[in-house]
Order: sequence, then structure tokens, then C-alpha cells
Amino acid sequence: MKILVYIWRNIRRNKVRSLLTILSVGFSLALMTVLYGFMASQETWRNDAEQTNRIVVMNIQGFTGQVPISAVDDVASTDGVEAAVPLAWFGGAYQDEPMPFAQFATDPQSAFKVWPEYSISPEELKNWQENRRGCVIDRRIADERGWKVGQQIRLKGTIYPFDLDLELCGIFDAPKNSGSLWFNWEYLDEGLKQKNSPVTGNAGTVFARTKSGDGIPAVVKAIDDRFGSSDTPTRTQTEAAFAQMFVDMLGNVQVLIRNIGLAVVFSLCLVTANSMAMSMRERVTEIAVLKAIGFPRSRILFMILGESSLIAMLGGLLGVSMGCAFLQAMNAALPQFFPFTVLEMLGPWISYGFLVAAVLGIVSGLVPAIRAAQLSVIDGLRRIA
Amino acid sequence: MIPAKYNIRNLQVRWMTTLMTVLGTGLVVWASVLCFGLTDGLQYALRVSGDELDLIVLRKGSTDETGSGIEQSVARQIVSLPGIAKDEGGQPLCSVEFVTILTKPRRNNGGTVNLIVRGLEEVGRKLRPEYRLTQGREIKPGVNEAITSQRMAERFENLAIGEELEINNVKFKIVGYFEAAGSSAESEVWTDLRDLTAARRTPAAVSSVNLRAENLAARDSLVKLLADDKRFELNGISEVRYFEDQMTQSNAIQYIGYIIAGFLMFGAMFAAANTMYAAVASRAREIGTLRALGFSRRSILGSFLFESVLLCLMGGALGCLATLPFNGLSTGTVNQFSEITFSFRFGPRVLLQGVVLAMLMGLLGGILPALRAVQLNIVNALRER
Repeated sequence: MKILVYIWRNIRRNKVRSLLTILSVGFSLALMTVLYGFMASQETWRNDAEQTNRIVVMNIQGFTGQVPISAVDDVASTDGVEAAVPLAWFGGAYQDEPMPFAQFATDPQSAFKVWPEYSISPEELKNWQENRRGCVIDRRIADERGWKVGQQIRLKGTIYPFDLDLELCGIFDAPKNSGSLWFNWEYLDEGLKQKNSPVTGNAGTVFARTKSGDGIPAVVKAIDDRFGSSDTPTRTQTEAAFAQMFVDMLGNVQVLIRNIGLAVVFSLCLVTANSMAMSMRERVTEIAVLKAIGFPRSRILFMILGESSLIAMLGGLLGVSMGCAFLQAMNAALPQFFPFTVLEMLGPWISYGFLVAAVLGIVSGLVPAIRAAQLSVIDGLRRIA
Repeated sequence: MIPAKYNIRNLQVRWMTTLMTVLGTGLVVWASVLCFGLTDGLQYALRVSGDELDLIVLRKGSTDETGSGIEQSVARQIVSLPGIAKDEGGQPLCSVEFVTILTKPRRNNGGTVNLIVRGLEEVGRKLRPEYRLTQGREIKPGVNEAITSQRMAERFENLAIGEELEINNVKFKIVGYFEAAGSSAESEVWTDLRDLTAARRTPAAVSSVNLRAENLAARDSLVKLLADDKRFELNGISEVRYFEDQMTQSNAIQYIGYIIAGFLMFGAMFAAANTMYAAVASRAREIGTLRALGFSRRSILGSFLFESVLLCLMGGALGCLATLPFNGLSTGTVNQFSEITFSFRFGPRVLLQGVVLAMLMGLLGGILPALRAVQLNIVNALRER
């Protein structure tokens, strides 16, 4: 216990230096926490998708390919499928905002069967099913914009050659921010028909939920075989694989983030080692005295390592809390990029900061500690003069 | 004024501390400059793609080629409009193009991403900056051949010369590589317009018309004509603006870069401050002597600030130098849902940003230690050992 007091006093001896080192470590680890948190938010999205037993059917050519609306019924009637809905991306603008939230055309009758984890009151659901122009929206978006049921929402088409006049019929709760608005697929198709568009009857993608997780491979194969020789061959994948596709799109950026993380850790080692070395240089005489009055080497080693570790850990604590606070603030300010709160994506990444801090403390303290332990008492005492 | 030699010698004497600090700030500047270079490369790729006189004609309400559709018969009428520039042979520079997005695998199991395939005619090549074939040969229309850039061939499966890319069960043979001044065209696969619309089974529709106006006035009147004339009702966007609108992704990367640089700058600033505090503390007697010799407070403040800035600038120079191996290294990310490849660019502006960053670190980190040096009492300072 006494040794801890000694370590603490040593840290407080040069307050400015200790504080600067802690701040330096803190800011760098805060950055690391933010970067890894950002990557974790994408992992979270994918991991969530893994548990839902949902599959996504899309045209083998990708998003611009078509999936005929009749495919929805075909998928729904496949063995092992619970429910299936079309899900077409509208991507319209609201007032001056290019695309403030995701907008999908889907089937009001079955949408909440495919997403059973989303909840909506039965009356609101019924209203939506009966109102052709109706739409439902995630509670977070509704709260943010102060929208109530009955709100008129006009979405300007950017991909589609017409606008939508939607009426908010209901607000649903999702376990995590879905950032979505859903409206009736038939209303979308109607607009296309009025424009004599050649691409009517396009479901975009089909989302389906299977009865069990084990049955997914069989269902995937059954669906792809069924459409394989049609005009619109499909590629069916689990929602997790679908989400992975978007994560892959970031490509090299992830490698870049990892490398920056490494560079940061390395430069931190230099910084802390530097300040530990400076502290030790000033204390050579003192350590010689300690040894002269009988402190064993191991204790001196422990004392110095303890000091560097404590400084690094304080920096780590500061860094991780600053990083999390930043992520939380970003979640509030820019939900498109940071869709989850820190609690929602809690995972091992949060401990990386502490881990780095611990390693940092030991590595940076090692050289000064060994030097001090091996210091010859006579030499050390002589330096006074 | 205290001569600069004094500071340089001081840095030399404490070479270990100096080296650690230089390496530390160097790594920070390196990581930041890398981020800036990435953004700059992406912005350059989009900027060089746009020509003041060029127009991209899309369906009304559409903002991007991949989401646009125009009837081919309408698109063909645009060629005969007045104000379109002609090439040496008297042909109007007006290219009817079809763009489609395919989801294709990256090499080395890099996941699947969206790939842009563009069908165009001979004249379209003249509208791209410095278009030239680097390897292989031009495509022959009607026999399903395609060309792409070397970078794309390295990133995607099935895109090397001799390999075949499948589009709706039709195989397109890759016969050559082209270059276009690093513009976004280098992120695409090009094939013949008719071959592509046939494969996509949309022979009557094209995506866009690219054209070059004779001058700015002609460009503006073309935009007005295309929008107002009942035959067209199309949206003519200046190419420069079109690519600016596409920069949203690079903006996101830019913000990430600034966040990284911001956090790191604080971390490195504290480290520099630490080093300078130690320098001041161990030089109290020297400072006292300098004062006693008659150097003013101001020149001592200047001298320590200079030393601090010099220290960080050395780190900055090292960091900038360390980015040079990355210059021109090609990478890719997703822009508007499809892959765009581009190269890191470390132009004077990016390097200057790095140097300014280093200077800021030196100034901000050095100011408090320098102030402390100035406040030393001459008599007490001289008395210190």
C-alpha cells in the first residue's frame, strides 16, 4: 500500500509534466477509440443482421437490376419462408435536404411480419394498411423533426421521375435506429404507370424472413434455382451478407484506419517513454539513496513501472471516456454516419484503449526502470556533486 | 536577438529527447498528411473529370447518370441542336451514353462492390480529358468487347485483358486499357452503346447525353432549350457542377481526416510542451545568465518559441517525407454507391497543410514553457545548480 502512495506522490511531484503526458496519451487514445468505434458501428449493423433469419433477394446484376413484383409471392410461398415483402429504394429529397433518411416502398400487410422486432400500435398499422398514401417512420426521426401522425411529407423524386405526397399514419419503434420511412409499394408503382415508365412492377429487392435459421441455405438455393433461368436471375443472401456488402464498399479506408491506429500507438510509446526518461534523469540521486538504505531492485523496478503504468492508465481512462463522449455526440449530431449510441454497439473495441494504455505503461517504463534498477549506488550518489 | 545556433546546439545536446519528440510529431504529421492526401486525390479525380463547356443531360429530376433514363429517339435529336461544338472532322461533340451498375467481386476476396459499365460511341472518347489507349486495342462495335483502366483491372475480378465480364448472361471480352488523366472515367468499364443496351434488354432507353458547347453562352442557352422545349424537358447539368455534387463522399472522408488530425494535433502538442518544459527546467541557469548578459525577455521568449517550432518542424518535414512513397498509390472507395478508384496526391497544398500543422503544434506547445522561461527571476535562476 505504501508503495502506491509513493508512486502517487512521484506522479504529483511534477504536476505539469504528468498532466501533459496524460493529456497527450488521452487525446491519442480518444482518437483510437473513435476510429474503432466507427468500425464497430458497422460490425454491429452486420451482427444484428445475423440474428434475424432474414434473407434478401436481389437481381444478380445488383441494385439497378429488376426483381418482378410477382417474385414476392413466389418467395413467400417457398418452403420455410414466413413472410416476404418488396423493398424498393426511393431515395428522394425532402425540402432542401438531398436524402435526409432512407425511404422504402414496401407492403404494409406483411412488413411488420418480416421485421417482427419493430413494433407499432395495431390502430396505426391498420391506418397505414388502409391509406394508399400512408407511410410509417422510425420514432427517432419523428421525434427529431417533431412529426406527429397526420403530418404531410412531400418527397421529391431523384431516381424516380415523380414526387410522392405521403401522409404519416404511424410511428414504429425499432430496437436500434433504422433511420427509415416505409410507404406503400403500390403507390410507387402507380406513379410509374402514370409516367408510362418501362420499369413498372419492379420490387427492387425482396426481403423475406425464414421460419428458422437452419433452413436458410435450403431456402436460398430454392429461390435462386427458381429464378435462375428466368429473365431476371436473382442472387439471394442472408441479411448479414447483404450488410457486409455495404461494409466492403468502404474498402481501403478500413486498412487506412488500422494503420493510423498503429502509428498513433507507436508515437504514444515515444511520448510516454520520453517523459518517463526525463523524470528518471532528475531522480538518479534519489534512487541511489533508496538503494543505499536497502530498497531491493525489484521494488525499485516495480515503483517505476507502476508510475509509468498509472500515468498511461489515467491517459487511457481519459482517452476512452473522451472518445465515447465524442461518439455519443456524433450519434446525436450526424446519425447517418454514426447510427448507434455507444451502449448499442458496446463490444471488445472499447477495451482496446485500455489495453494499449496498459502495454504503453509497461513498454515506456521498461527502459528507465531497468536502468534505475541496475544503477550503481556509488555512481548515483556521486551525481549530486 | 539570441542566435539560432544556440537553439540548434541545444537540440543537439539533448539528442535523445529531440529524436523522440521529432519522431512523435513526425508520425502525427504523417498520419494527418496521409488523410489529407487521400481526400485531395479523390477530389482531384472528380474535379479533373469536369470541363466548363461540357454538359451532362439527364432526365428531369434526376441528379445522377445511373438513375437517369431518356428515350434513345429523344436523345438522338439533341445532336442536331445549335451551339454544340464540332471536332476537326465537323462531327458534333455529342455522345449518347448508357450507364449501368453491376455488382461484381473484387480481386483477392475483397467483397463485392458496384461497378459502373458505360456504353458509348466513338465520339464519347473525345469528351474525356486526355483519353488514350495504353495497352491492347480499341473495341469493335457489335461483338461484345470492352475496355477499362489498368487500375480497375487490378481491383476487380474478370477485368484484365483477355478475361470476360458477364452482363446479363452476355460475355464481354476485355481487349484494352485506357487512361483519361486520372478522371472518374478511369473507374469505369467502357463498351459499345448498342452492345450494352442489347445485353441489358433496354434498347430504347439511354441514360444520358454528354456534349460540349461551343462557348459558355451557347452552353447556357442549350440548358434552357433542353429544359423548356416540349420535345425534351431534360435536365442539362454542367459537368463541373455534376462532379461537385458527387463529392459528398469525399467530404465525409475529409471530415474524418480533420477529426483525426485534430485529435492527433492535441496529443502531439502536449508532447512537444512536455519536451520544452524539460528544456526550460534544465536550463534555468543558462536563462539566468542570458538575462544577466542583457538579453531582453522578449528575445528569450522568441528563442524558446523558435526552438519549439524548429523541433516540430523537423518532425513535420520527416512526416511529409514519409508520405512520399504513397504518392500516386492507387486506392478506391465508394462514391454514389459505386466504386471509384483514385490515387493519393501529395501536392504542395497538402504538404503545406502538414507543415502548418507542425508549426501550430510547436507554437501552441512552446508558448507556456517559453513564458515560464521568461518569468524566471534572474537571481534565483543563477543560484540554481
